[in-house]
Amino acid sequence: MISLFKRIKLRIKDTATLTQLCQMAEKYAKKRGEGEPGEEHFLLSALELPDGTAQRVFERLGVNEDQLEKAIDQQHIDALSYIGIDASDMSSVANENDDVGEHSNSPFKSKPSAQSLMKELVASRRSDKDIPLLGLHIIEVLSDKKLGIVSRAFEVLGLDQQSVKDAVSIELKNYKLSI
Amino acid sequence: MNDTENLPSHKEPEKALAAVVSLRLLADKLEKKAVNEAIKQGWSWTQVADSLGISKQAAHKKFASCIKK
Repeated sequence: MISLFKRIKLRIKDTATLTQLCQMAEKYAKKRGEGEPGEEHFLLSALELPDGTAQRVFERLGVNEDQLEKAIDQQHIDALSYIGIDASDMSSVANENDDVGEHSNSPFKSKPSAQSLMKELVASRRSDKDIPLLGLHIIEVLSDKKLGIVSRAFEVLGLDQQSVKDAVSIELKNYKLSI
Repeated sequence: MNDTENLPSHKEPEKALAAVVSLRLLADKLEKKAVNEAIKQGWSWTQVADSLGISKQAAHKKFASCIKK
């Protein structure tokens, strides 16, 4: 059990991490030429969190950030091919865009997939109160989803739900041992 | 446009809905690029709005921030 004071400190840290995540997700969405961030942009942002746990989960799975971004593009290409659209150059459209710059000062808006991720993330924190919010928690929540862009990107990478969950669980155990 | 028989198959909803998500993304990107190009070519916001079937205010609000100088 940790003290109430430490728990409050952890929640303050979580708020800072969430703010950082939202700003990075917004940046990723802009970089990929999209308006509002979705779950896939939060996943990419998780890899950049300074705790490094999300990055280590993917290292364990043999996937790097570049491969993950390519898989996200590929699942769009595959989805469009189902209705006879050849969008093989969609990735170039995604990367040539805008001024990525600093995040805007306007109210944060995200796609429904990201809003649902946030809700699930907050709910999942109730069961794991003694450690701060980590990058691996985002992967953990997303690995529960059977449908959606991230799930399809995992499929492109040949990752099944269980192997992702196992990698998260090993990393979580390692993290707890290290503190 | 009313001939729904000629739409791609919806018999596999998982694939069809994934295609819808990607189509929306593709449409958004095309819209943004085309508006950017139109403004670069000297179109007015009224022309852009008329082409998209939205109000001038809505067009300006949605796209003004993504116009490359």
